[in-house]
Amino acid sequence: MVNPVFLFRFILMALLSSIPLSGYTQADIQINTPAIASLKQSMQQRHGQLEAYYAGGAVGLTNDGLIAMRDASALPLAARQAVNTLIAAENQDRNALYREIARANGHPEWEADIRSTFGQRWIELARPGWWYQNAGGTWVKK
Amino acid sequence: MIKRWRRLIPQSEAPLSGPSLLRLLRAHRRNRGLIRGFLTLLVKIFPAFFVAITYAHAGPRVTLSIGDVHSPVLNVGGVQVSLSGSNGSLLEIKLDEITVEGKTWRDLQFTCPGFDFAKGVLQCDDGVLRMSRSAAFPVTFHFSSADKTLDAKIRTASNGPSEGWRLTARWEGGGWEGVLSVRNGQAAQIAGFLPAGEGEIAASPTSGKINGKAKLRVDTDGLAGIEADLAVDELAFSDASGLHAGENITVELNAKAVREVGGKGNSWQWQADLNWRRGEIFWQPLYFAARGHRFNANGYVNDDAIGLNEGTLLLAGIGKTNFSGVIDRATVAPLDFNLSADNLELAGLFSDVLKPFLVNTVFADLKASGQAGVRWRFRAGAHDLLHVDLRGASVEDERERFAFRGVNATIPWQAQRRTQANISIHSSQLGKLPIGELHIPLQIDGFNFRIPRMVVPILDGKLTLEDFAASPPTQEPPSGWQWQFSGGLSPLSMQKLTEVLGIQIMQGTLSGEIPRVSYNGSVVEVDGALLFKIFDGTVELGNLKLLNPMGRAPTLMADVTMRNLDLNQLTGTFSFGSIQGRVDATVSGLELFNWKPVKFDASLRSSPGNYPRRISQAAVQNISSLGGGGAAAAIQRSFLRVFDQFGYSEIGWSCSLRNGVCRMGGIELQPMPHGYLIVKGGGIPAITVMGYNSNVDWEELVSRLERITQANVKPVFQ
Repeated sequence: MVNPVFLFRFILMALLSSIPLSGYTQADIQINTPAIASLKQSMQQRHGQLEAYYAGGAVGLTNDGLIAMRDASALPLAARQAVNTLIAAENQDRNALYREIARANGHPEWEADIRSTFGQRWIELARPGWWYQNAGGTWVKK
Repeated sequence: MIKRWRRLIPQSEAPLSGPSLLRLLRAHRRNRGLIRGFLTLLVKIFPAFFVAITYAHAGPRVTLSIGDVHSPVLNVGGVQVSLSGSNGSLLEIKLDEITVEGKTWRDLQFTCPGFDFAKGVLQCDDGVLRMSRSAAFPVTFHFSSADKTLDAKIRTASNGPSEGWRLTARWEGGGWEGVLSVRNGQAAQIAGFLPAGEGEIAASPTSGKINGKAKLRVDTDGLAGIEADLAVDELAFSDASGLHAGENITVELNAKAVREVGGKGNSWQWQADLNWRRGEIFWQPLYFAARGHRFNANGYVNDDAIGLNEGTLLLAGIGKTNFSGVIDRATVAPLDFNLSADNLELAGLFSDVLKPFLVNTVFADLKASGQAGVRWRFRAGAHDLLHVDLRGASVEDERERFAFRGVNATIPWQAQRRTQANISIHSSQLGKLPIGELHIPLQIDGFNFRIPRMVVPILDGKLTLEDFAASPPTQEPPSGWQWQFSGGLSPLSMQKLTEVLGIQIMQGTLSGEIPRVSYNGSVVEVDGALLFKIFDGTVELGNLKLLNPMGRAPTLMADVTMRNLDLNQLTGTFSFGSIQGRVDATVSGLELFNWKPVKFDASLRSSPGNYPRRISQAAVQNISSLGGGGAAAAIQRSFLRVFDQFGYSEIGWSCSLRNGVCRMGGIELQPMPHGYLIVKGGGIPAITVMGYNSNVDWEELVSRLERITQANVKPVFQ
């Protein structure tokens, strides 16, 4: 079993180091500010909890760089509320991450492009069996 | 022949023909239960049908087609009734579509191969009812015009013989009375009965057993009364997303509804008592497990509204809530509503009801205790009154950012009137900072709040708050809550403050005049300055801004100016080795992210003036050991080890922190070719300390300062 924290680090590193922002080649996706470091750390800690829900199909990756409850029925009733909370917290961090990267680059207006690039790359780096939304918004199993 | 058929028709019913059939169907407009409706529909249709075939009885098969039947509440499309086989023993009825009050069922088919009609009795022992989306249901019925009785049973095909639905009815005068009983009825089968197009969205049952009886009373105007006593076991339901679902639920329902005689239109009085014994429900974002929750209510319902005269909701672990009100049926929104609860347990109320709505807010990790009373009044679609009482309440943040204990409050809010709340808090905590007893005279005007003056005791000092005003978010320009106040901080012992904050103990006081503190929805801004009197000098904190104060990672910005700090006190406090003298320092553009410095321009310089300037060997060793172990060794090797103290003429040091790197410098007026001067020697014996490394990792520097170990600084002895 791959350590989920290691996996998350690997994904985030691969993501941050491999994104050529089309049309915005000047954007430094790897830019590191204390805010970005804090968000990455928080997301990394949460990833260990979320991973089982990605694998089980309850939670999927949306096409706008966030995550969503895909099939709550895959969870026991008592767990649904907690997973909802995890999703809300993760999306808050993801939105803040895109905003901070754009801001740290001195171009807050790049946020939408950074988000969509991240969205595609999260999906590309997702493990087989995880669910994601295609461009049309339909859930697809990788 | 005609007479024979006429005898089959109950006396109260007018016979025959399209219009009469329509009238019969209309009489059913209030029969909402589909099974009941269907069975009675059969009963009503038969007489018309059989009379019709008396005219058309010429061949082995008789078919009656009725195109569409329309009425305000019931539409039936594509009705086909046929009778064939020997002696007309095969009865078939098909309905393409039936719509009752906006809900549609399609492809209903009833067949009865052993249909018998003789001597005033219609009998079917082996009928089958099929619907497009559900399994086939075996149906038997026995209808006697002489006894004026109907006994109809539906068994669900997949179930054992003990599972079934039964309607027994008896005609009397213009109406009938009946009992619909169900034994081990499968709730999942009801899903098939749910109208097409809605089942995908609405939460529908997937399993569960229903037992019980419903007494029905029908008069010439339709359903006049219903009394149900039902128990549902092991009920599970879910919508497609799983966000509205329940499992393993046991409920007991006792309900009664009576149509109002002489009431306007379709007007009913009802009462219901629901006892939830077992199971769990998730209704996004709320989750409840059965712990003896109970609901009972009575009221009325008519074409326009559902009225609640008296309702009680008992939530175990939270308390009892009484309510009444009127709900508009068209919009399913409350028009008027009253809710009152005198004794709610805050712990349960917060964890079960409020917490799920506070995700991602500063209140998300609260735990509460104590009692609350709530009274809420909603009039003509708008909030009118909300009174909240708190008794012995405590609210604590699980992440220890804040806590309020011993809260007693009366908070009245009224839409059209200015009110005053009285809030007393025995003790509070902001971070590690304890706050004494508070009395908050809160003035409420709609959604605007004011506190003319209040005193916040902090340790041995006081923060006086004046003209506090908070206003709600606005649309244009879009903003969050905004507030502001002015005030002052009377002298506060630095010793006590540093003790409770768990940092290095310092002597002195903290005080300040605060012309204005404001919050614009995202930034707290402090006009004026906070003044610290410490180390016999002054520290002034100005241009203070706090971004995202309640977020996970707040950012603080400030400028700090220090004057005349006594180095002897300062170094003594931090066990740095003694330095005699005084320094001025400025830290401009200070930015703390998550309470850690990320950017500043700091410089430190000996204060102007005459005062003794001596530095101890230990202090030299510590300053120089920031630059490496060589300094201490050099002193030990040289004759200087015989001196405890050295003279100096000036101390200077600067650090510009950017991106985790501190760019260091020394006394600016003394540029050195390969380094910078930190301590300029003077007197006998004099000592000069130089730094050579101008870029130092900030984290590393901090840890060196903490450990006083190695760095690239070497002393030069003169």
